[in-house]
Amino acid sequence: MSPAVAARELSYAYGDHVAVDSISVDVAPGEILGFLGPNGAGKSTTIKMLTGQLRPASGTIEVLGMAMPAQRTAIQQRIGVCFEEKNLYLSMSAEENLRFFAQLFGMAGFDPAPLLDRVGLADRARDRVREYSKGMRQRLMMARTLVNSPDVLFLDEPTDGLDPVSARRIRDLVRAEAARGAAVLLTTHDMMEADELSDRVAFINEGLILAVDTPEQLKLSHGSRSLRVRTRGSDGDVGEKVVALDDPDVAGAMSAALSTGDVLTVHSEEATLEDIFVHFAGRGLDA
Amino acid sequence: MSPAVVSTIVGKDLKEFRADRFFLLITGLSVVFYPLIFWLLPATVDETLRVGVVQRGLDPVVTAVAEGSDGLAVVELADQTALEQALLSGEGDLVAGLVFPDDFVAAAAFGEKTQVTVLVTADVPPEVETALSALAGELALLALGEPPPSDLLAEPVVLGNDLVGDQVSLREQLRPLLAFFVLMTETFALATLVAAEIQTRTVTAVLVTPATRTDFLAAKGVVGTGVAFTEAALIMALIGGFATGAPILVVALLLGAGLVTGIGMVAGSFGRDFMTVLFTSILIMIPLMIPAFSALFPGTANAWVQVLPTYGFVQTVVEVTTAGAGWSDVAPDLLLLAGWTMAAFAAGWVVLGRRVATL
Repeated sequence: MSPAVAARELSYAYGDHVAVDSISVDVAPGEILGFLGPNGAGKSTTIKMLTGQLRPASGTIEVLGMAMPAQRTAIQQRIGVCFEEKNLYLSMSAEENLRFFAQLFGMAGFDPAPLLDRVGLADRARDRVREYSKGMRQRLMMARTLVNSPDVLFLDEPTDGLDPVSARRIRDLVRAEAARGAAVLLTTHDMMEADELSDRVAFINEGLILAVDTPEQLKLSHGSRSLRVRTRGSDGDVGEKVVALDDPDVAGAMSAALSTGDVLTVHSEEATLEDIFVHFAGRGLDA
Repeated sequence: MSPAVVSTIVGKDLKEFRADRFFLLITGLSVVFYPLIFWLLPATVDETLRVGVVQRGLDPVVTAVAEGSDGLAVVELADQTALEQALLSGEGDLVAGLVFPDDFVAAAAFGEKTQVTVLVTADVPPEVETALSALAGELALLALGEPPPSDLLAEPVVLGNDLVGDQVSLREQLRPLLAFFVLMTETFALATLVAAEIQTRTVTAVLVTPATRTDFLAAKGVVGTGVAFTEAALIMALIGGFATGAPILVVALLLGAGLVTGIGMVAGSFGRDFMTVLFTSILIMIPLMIPAFSALFPGTANAWVQVLPTYGFVQTVVEVTTAGAGWSDVAPDLLLLAGWTMAAFAAGWVVLGRRVATL
């Protein structure tokens, strides 16, 4: 299956500052690719190039088999972009916002009701967006992104700063869109979100892609696994043993840990994506 | 450029205009108050010189002069005190007064020296004072039965626009100013709309759809020109501006609307919020208002005023509405206006285009 998004050797600089340095990335239809990196890593610049907002200094981009920026209008007809800023028309209602964008896509007779229902805004459809909470605005942003039933979704920090309920609703929408067959490129600096949503994760830092793989494989390949065993000894003291699962004698080590007293808890532990990111970048995601 | 996309953006912009209570209020007030001010101003200019006279024994002469002189009205008063009070209070619209001494006729008849007092208020031009002194001599000659010497008759020569008998009323002078004010109001409205699109980055959302930057800029041009033209034309209609030369005025208003739209696009590109848009718009508009104000004063405008972008607009409106000028009369002004409009529109297109591209 050919990728929905294929970027090769993309570069972009703001003056002397190289924001994106020769990166390559593919996203398959139905796949969610998490773009994970700290602020200023080059995530948004990459999305801007992929969506036709910026012209790359070098490199090639193909979206749905079409070249960007040569076939920009045709590509933009079939993509949806959710921005980090809540760039909605505040003086207009949710319905009016969606109808306007549907008209830009040439969708005559568009009915916003099902989409607003999907994001839980059906009962506030005619209220001005100015009166919406941050979470409601973000849900409307997602609804707007889906107006044209896009084949590729570019989502820039879609859950940033949201309450858990709103964030959960948006993640469910993203999963549903991927299940429908849309390719999703999700940028985030939230490693929990990337881990939960992404089929694959790309680590980006200082304009470079450091690693691309499934979250599971990244953790297996570059992190350590262990069991943490807590026991209470005959003297009543609580002790803790950590058994490395990569130890050649894991069975012996486990047996020794369990025999130190009454077993209170046994927890498996594995590296987080943030641990792996630190391993590659030498810095944390919040740095 | 896609007409369908441009039309969609135009529709959205008009919806935003309608939703903006501030601009609805400003526009509503303009439509109501500009015509109201216009119609409340005097429509005619009273060229009659009202002169108060205090005299004894000059009744037949004064009556004859008053009846035989166009543009001169004589009001008789009892004494100098009454005349002074009338002049100071503005009673009877007197501009000056003549006080003849009681022995004036006798003294003049015997060739004795006598003195007529000419009373004027501080705001009366010196020419009127001189004319009244001459009038006193005229009255004396008539009272003595001698005709005025023929060598006193002279043909007056007026430099500049001779508007004697055809003066432009304050109402007429205000017409181009009102039309310009309306255009200026709408410039500010467009600048605010553009600045809001930039600040909230809604333009970025539009430009990742099939809408192009050209579509966006064209829509702003259509909205700005359309709204400014519509309101200016409405105001002109309400103040009776289309009574003569309507086609010329429509062209002038259209070009003027295009001019201020270009300016609005530039001002909006620089605006960061409501106050910076206001400041930028006013900064640009102040020099552009000079031709409109200069129209309040008869005569030829200074050369530097004539090169200002709005001069062609104001001059066309003035010439058509007050002098009934035709196409050939205003062609140079319209061409000048068209040139400035194209330049302003091009500047707005480039500046806003660059601003949008760098978001």
